[in-house]
Parts: sequence; C-alpha cells; structure tokens
Amino acid sequence: MKWVFERVAGPYKGALGGLAWDGSGMLFSAIDEGRILRHDPVNGKVAEFRRYTNRTNGLAIGGDGTLYGCQQASRRIVAFTRDGSMLPMEHLLDGKYHNQPNNLCVDAKGSIWFTDPHSELRSSGPQVFPPLEHASVLRLDKEAQRRLWDLRRVTYDTMAPRALAVTADGRTLYVAETDNRPGGLRELRAYVLADGEVNGACSVMHIFGEDHRGVHRGIEGMCLDAAGNLFACAGWSRSGPGPMIYVFAPGGEILGSHRVPGDLPMNCALGDPLLDSLYVTTGTGELYRVRNCGFNGLKA
Amino acid sequence: MLEIDMTSKGMDRLITHDAPLDMLVNGLLFGEGPLWSRADNCFYFVDILGDTIWKWTPGVGQQSVIQPSTKANGLTFDREGRLLVAGWGSRSIWCVEHDGSIVTLAAAHQGKKLNSPNDIVVASNGMIYFTDSPGALYNVGMAGEDVQQYLDFQGVFSISPDGKLDVVVEDTAYPNGLAFSPDEKLLYVNDSRLYHIRVFEVQAGGSLKPRGIFHELEGGEEGIADGMKVDSEGNVYTSGPGGIHVLDPSGKRLGRIRIPGHVTNMGWGDADWRSLYITTRSSVYRTRVQVPGVPVHAGGRA
Repeated sequence: MKWVFERVAGPYKGALGGLAWDGSGMLFSAIDEGRILRHDPVNGKVAEFRRYTNRTNGLAIGGDGTLYGCQQASRRIVAFTRDGSMLPMEHLLDGKYHNQPNNLCVDAKGSIWFTDPHSELRSSGPQVFPPLEHASVLRLDKEAQRRLWDLRRVTYDTMAPRALAVTADGRTLYVAETDNRPGGLRELRAYVLADGEVNGACSVMHIFGEDHRGVHRGIEGMCLDAAGNLFACAGWSRSGPGPMIYVFAPGGEILGSHRVPGDLPMNCALGDPLLDSLYVTTGTGELYRVRNCGFNGLKA
Repeated sequence: MLEIDMTSKGMDRLITHDAPLDMLVNGLLFGEGPLWSRADNCFYFVDILGDTIWKWTPGVGQQSVIQPSTKANGLTFDREGRLLVAGWGSRSIWCVEHDGSIVTLAAAHQGKKLNSPNDIVVASNGMIYFTDSPGALYNVGMAGEDVQQYLDFQGVFSISPDGKLDVVVEDTAYPNGLAFSPDEKLLYVNDSRLYHIRVFEVQAGGSLKPRGIFHELEGGEEGIADGMKVDSEGNVYTSGPGGIHVLDPSGKRLGRIRIPGHVTNMGWGDADWRSLYITTRSSVYRTRVQVPGVPVHAGGRA
C-alpha cells in the first residue's frame, strides 16, 4: 500500500519532535523554537499551544487528559496543565538528577515511561549536577497513598535509549537503542514486562547497519496502533535506505517501509477522528500526514 | 595574598596586594544573596540550590535562617530593616516582617506571574527595584511549583512605597545584578546573557531613562555579569570572567580581583564597610578594600 505524505505544517526553525493526539487536534513540539503547536485537521490551521518550553521534545497524554513532555534542556518531565501552568516533575533517581529525557509514553495505569539518554547539548543553568553514569529507561509511578511520584530505573542494559513504547496489555516494552555515531549500537529491542519490571534479557527485533556511505540512522521515535503494530521513525538521506517509517508486526516482521519526504523523521503518532492518519515530524522542521494509512490507533 | 590584575594605576588605591582572602563558608551548591546586617553584625547569604537563607556571624559561624527558602536569591533590607527577598523559585518579592511572618509584595504583572526575581535593591526613598530573569523556570534544580514563563520579556521592575508594581526596563535579555551610584541618581543593571552593564538615570517618580552601555565585560575565563556593587566613590564592582571586575565611574576597567571558583555576587560589610563579602557557587570569601562601599541602610531586627 502506497502512502501519500502531505505536508500539513512547516518548515519551522530547527527540528520538530514529539506528537500527541488530544482528541481533536495534533500537538507537536517545535523543539528548537521552544514551542508546542497544535494542528487542527478540521480547518488545517496551526495554532500555538505553549511557548517557552525550553526544548521540550517527546509528548504524551495521560488517561486523565494531562499532557506530559520531555523538557530536555531542564532535564525533567513536565506536565502542561489545562490552566496554562507547567508543573516540573523534577524527581531524583537515588538522589541524583537524571539526563535529558527524549521520549515518553503513559501506560494504562498512568505511569510515565521515558528514555533518558545522555546529550551533547548543554542543559540550562550552572552545570552543577553531572549526568547519570547510565542512560536508561526510567519510570514515574504515582504512589496511590501519598499521591506523590516515585522515579525508578527500568532498564539496566541500555546505553543510548531514545524511543520507547509500552503495549496496551502492559506486557511488552519496546526500546530503541540508538547511537548514530560510527561503531554505535542501533537496534529495536523488546523487553518482557512482569508487574512493570523487566523480566529477563531483551529480544532484539531489528538491527540497523551501515554501508559504504556510513551508518544507518536508528530509531528516533515510535508509536503503536490498536493491534500492537509498531511504527518507527528512522533513517536519513546520508546513507542506507533513506528517511523511513517502518511498520513492525508484534513479532518483528516488517509489514511496510515508507519513504518520508524531507529528512530525519523524528516522531510519529496516529490521529484524526478515526485515528487512521499517521502524523510524522522531521528534523528538517516539517509535519507530515498520511491519511488512511491502513492502521488505526487505540481509542482513548 | 590576593591575585590582582592591574589594568590601571587607580586600582592600587582601591585594594592592595596584601589584602586577605578568607574563606568563611564552604560546601554550598549555589551561593548568592550577600548582605551585611549592621544591626545584627552578621552576614546574610543564600544557597539557592541548597534552598536555605543562611547567616554567618563573626565568632559564631554559619546558622540557618529560613529553610526551605523557596529558592531565595537576592537579599536586601528595606528602610525599616525588614529582610527583602528576590524569590527565585516562588516567582515573587517577599519580605520577612520583624515578627518573622512572611508577606508577598509582588508576584504578578497585569495578571501574569513574574518570571523569577533575581536580585533586589532599595533606594533611600523606599522605592524597590528588582531584576526578573527567567532562570528559575529553566535551570536544573531551581524549579518552584510552576515553571511556565508567562511574560514575553525579561525586565526590571519597581515597587513603589505604596506597593505599586511597574516595569522600568523591558529590553534586557537576562537582567541580573543591579546597584545604585552613591548619589542614587544612576542605576546599573547587569545583563548576564549580553555580558554587559547598562546604566540608567533614575527619574523623579522612579522611572528609568536609558543612558546606554556602561561597560562590556572582557575575559574568557569562567564567570558572567551576575552580582554587582558600588563603592562610596562610585567605582563599580561586578562579577565577571575570572573573578571581580572593578570599573571606575566612567566605565573604564581598573583591574580584576581573581577569585577561586565562580563568583556570583558580593556585598560590602563590617562596621567600616571596607570588607567585601563574596559569594561563589560553593563558598563565601571576605577581603578588605581601601575605599568603603555604599552602606546598606537599616538592616536587621534592631
């Protein structure tokens, strides 16, 4: 099935990042502009949702409608509340500030899972707190009794986690380990979860290689459809098969690969009233949409 | 022994090479808010990341005053000797009454929350000026409850004695330290992002008239235009690359006092106002100068 990519917004200054469907519009991060924008599919217009987001990238909406974001430059998850405020979820891991969160998702229980890679970009303010010695998937759990968030470490074998997804049944955690430097590891992994904890070693579902032109860019962002198929943004024009959306079946089989216009696909999410359009952001600042992509998102 | 870079001969009249450099406090995460209390004979300062207002008393040492401090930053006293606080994490200007209760003086401009007040001064007529850079909204470990920036500028505000909040400078990029000339006719404002000091004429009624750039900071070492104070002859002491830069009233650099670490701010102190208390990120130092500083009026619970 041939996908038709239409550009619905952009280009903006610098990279676009995370996406989240809010029920009637598609929110997306203009990372370098420090803004979150909203595309309305009814009139095709884009409005500013938030400004001064300090390099917020990954976005996700929780079951109660709260929008969460990865505020990379401030090294924290933030909650964008309906009254317009931004609540820092600046929780410490064993007394230490974590790295620069890149992508996140919220599971059925309301826990917030996020990738926490190291970054070459400087965080805001005095460099008082060193990065963690590890780069892992972390999770914020709301502790029912005290209604406080606890931060815990989920993976112990990652070095550059950038994208993730948790299946609706809570049994599988997909992690993209993406180090695009020469010699770096770039692979899609599946971890079996038992009671929210990683159970045993991961299965590697796909490996990104290199060719005479250089390394093939690994996965930067991904999302799931209602059937558990996984959409992954990877690749670049510099080498390999090019900028691409891959669709993986739950077992790892590739159901499709679709060349993205522009370059550096960053993130994707299903949206529009029937949740049958795939929206894709790029590092070159565009928001694309594929209508009738052949897959449907999970109804909230 | 102090390490002093002499740019001009005028420098040795202000500070001598055999001046001491005493470390009074160490182990802070982010020292700031230097303030001498004449009434209490002690030195107040803050640890922003350590979330505490401290005082250090000669012969006694370091004691906690307010903890948690909602990430208090700049400190001064008002005309009645109440402690005034640039509330970095609380996004407000607050005041400690003599009975210990805390009163908010300003938290919003035209219905929008302030950014994060950084430093604060009070004129003899009671007019308060403070800088409103947004660092607490963004910097790791400095957040308060709400980190959304609402104002589309990072400026300087005044609060009149009857409590009215006004914008007095709107076009600064990251306003930080501020200090009056000895006659209070001029107000100097540091801009950390632009590495310069601007100077304004204080008008009747309290508004500020821009007089341009007073000084562009030089040097590649660690340090920015952060805290600033003026001595009784009108020489300007500012934090900058490598330590404290000393400028004459025309804006010409006289020299530089090298300080270990990253200087954040400084304040005059002791009975003769000839001690310079210096906060760095980690420590409080004290040295002695030849020309006394502009005294901080009132001060303490006298």
